[in-house]
Amino acid sequence: MKRNLKFILALIKMKLSHMMVFRLSFFGAFFVDGSLFLIQILTFQAIYSQVDSIGGWSRGEMIIFIGTFSMINALNMVIFFFGVITIPDKIKNGQLDHYITKPVSPLLRLTFENVNPGSIPLLFLSVGIITYGISLLEITVTPLRVIGYIILVLIMTVLWYDIELLLRIIPLFTVSAYNFSRLEDSLLDVSMKIPGVLLKGVFKLILYLVIPYGIMSTFPTQFITNTLSPGWLAYGCGIVILFTYLTGRIWKLGLKYYKSASS
Amino acid sequence: MNIIETKNLTKTFQRFQKEPGLKGSMKGLFKRKYLMKSAVSDFTLTVEEGEFIGLIGPNGAGKTTLIKMLTGIIAPSNGEISVAGHYPNKLENSFKRQYAVVMGQKSQLFFELSANDTFLLFKELYNIPEDEYRKNLDYFIALFGVTDILDVQVRTLSLGERMKLELIVALLHNPKILFLDEPTIGLDAVAQKQIRKFLKEVNETKGTTIILTSHYMEDIKSLCKRCVVINEGKKLFDGDTDLLFKKYQTHKKVTVSFVQEDHFTSEIDFIPLEKSPYKTTLLIKKELSQELLKDLLVRYELDDISIEEEDIGNVVERIYNDKSGVSE
Repeated sequence: MKRNLKFILALIKMKLSHMMVFRLSFFGAFFVDGSLFLIQILTFQAIYSQVDSIGGWSRGEMIIFIGTFSMINALNMVIFFFGVITIPDKIKNGQLDHYITKPVSPLLRLTFENVNPGSIPLLFLSVGIITYGISLLEITVTPLRVIGYIILVLIMTVLWYDIELLLRIIPLFTVSAYNFSRLEDSLLDVSMKIPGVLLKGVFKLILYLVIPYGIMSTFPTQFITNTLSPGWLAYGCGIVILFTYLTGRIWKLGLKYYKSASS
Repeated sequence: MNIIETKNLTKTFQRFQKEPGLKGSMKGLFKRKYLMKSAVSDFTLTVEEGEFIGLIGPNGAGKTTLIKMLTGIIAPSNGEISVAGHYPNKLENSFKRQYAVVMGQKSQLFFELSANDTFLLFKELYNIPEDEYRKNLDYFIALFGVTDILDVQVRTLSLGERMKLELIVALLHNPKILFLDEPTIGLDAVAQKQIRKFLKEVNETKGTTIILTSHYMEDIKSLCKRCVVINEGKKLFDGDTDLLFKKYQTHKKVTVSFVQEDHFTSEIDFIPLEKSPYKTTLLIKKELSQELLKDLLVRYELDDISIEEEDIGNVVERIYNDKSGVSE
């Protein structure tokens, strides 16, 4: 564990050094991600400014939902997104060979080798939105509830990582996974705009169980507003454990199927 | 003591066979035809600790597939394999610490950063103690004479300089086995010579077992006492390198450029490879090469002449056609 942490730290240092070589891109990341965030907020404002309540959710809950999604998205972007998205190419062009032959988990290295500090400001902005949402609701939030909320956000970040990874290790088994990426984009888009509480029937089944993006921001929002039942809380934790287990198993199985690429 | 042992090692790949055109593509959607291709077939090999072995064969012979199985990158389809007492594809970290692999066409260096940055990451990767790291680094830097390029962005270095650094990165953790897949590919003659000198020194002073694949005969001749010839996944020859070249590399490749348009003819027996009015490439038996040179110099006005060892493909073909076999 200590060795892994030391190695992650070395990867982060390496990435920062790399970013600083390209001075413009180092500072540009702050600018680009900040702009994306603002566009996202404006889009949400345009959609929800005319309504106070959707499916029983008030404006305050909706704002917390948006803030929570931004928070999980920012964590994803800062920590692993830029590493995980390189996996399909590394599988296809055989670069994975170098990861497999080194005495640290290839997944650990792939996950943390492209951290992106450019998205850190998004974390602070997300906290601002969530705080604003809570103030609109006029509810009292205990420190214990805040801690629970933070843990749930982190758990849901792990869930996002699991799904992101699952969809990107498909090339270990098949030639192309391009269509899965498109499916992921569409489902994420829906989950970003529509809280899980509004989903019904087959949509709920897909976004709560098959590719459970629907619970990622919904459950923490419900938790902090004290509307998440113990049953759904257990379900949320259970699904993350299940997906983490599945991802680990499929990754290991995929490595057995790995064919590398001819040189 | 054997550090590598394989018995009847086989790797079979399944290849999708697509019929041409749109119709063929649509057919492939519903009913796929697959071809089974044996990249390595019934391959038995033993390598002793400290040996320097050359693995030669034409493109697609199965050399790289064999190295990938020995390093655990891919799993064998059949057969037995043991490298440093491990089953490679189990991918145990204790196994990965015992070897290093350098692939001539896949770099481990971070192109935008300096070599020193990559060295530091590898220090953490292999958990190399500070004093051992310093000692090894100093040794290899001195051996290769690369002090001046350690802080330079890797992207700006020449291919030869990069390969030297690739080797240093690979050897920092003192691996017992070094797998080299075409390390001299694309390098000029000077850089190739330097790399060879370096590898020889590492093998002799550190006792590192080295498995080298190369298209360049000179690499194998000057470095490996023993070589293994592989073609279509099968072992054709396993034995003394000198014996192999003496018996099977029987010809030289001669390329002659003429000052003016000329049509080369000779009473000396040769095999034409390429012919144009100003240039001729041919294969000539080694013992006849002197005679041919004399003939050329006397009868033609030459612009340029080069004499090379013949290609690996011809050597392999000759071994393949030799029913008696010479494997030791």
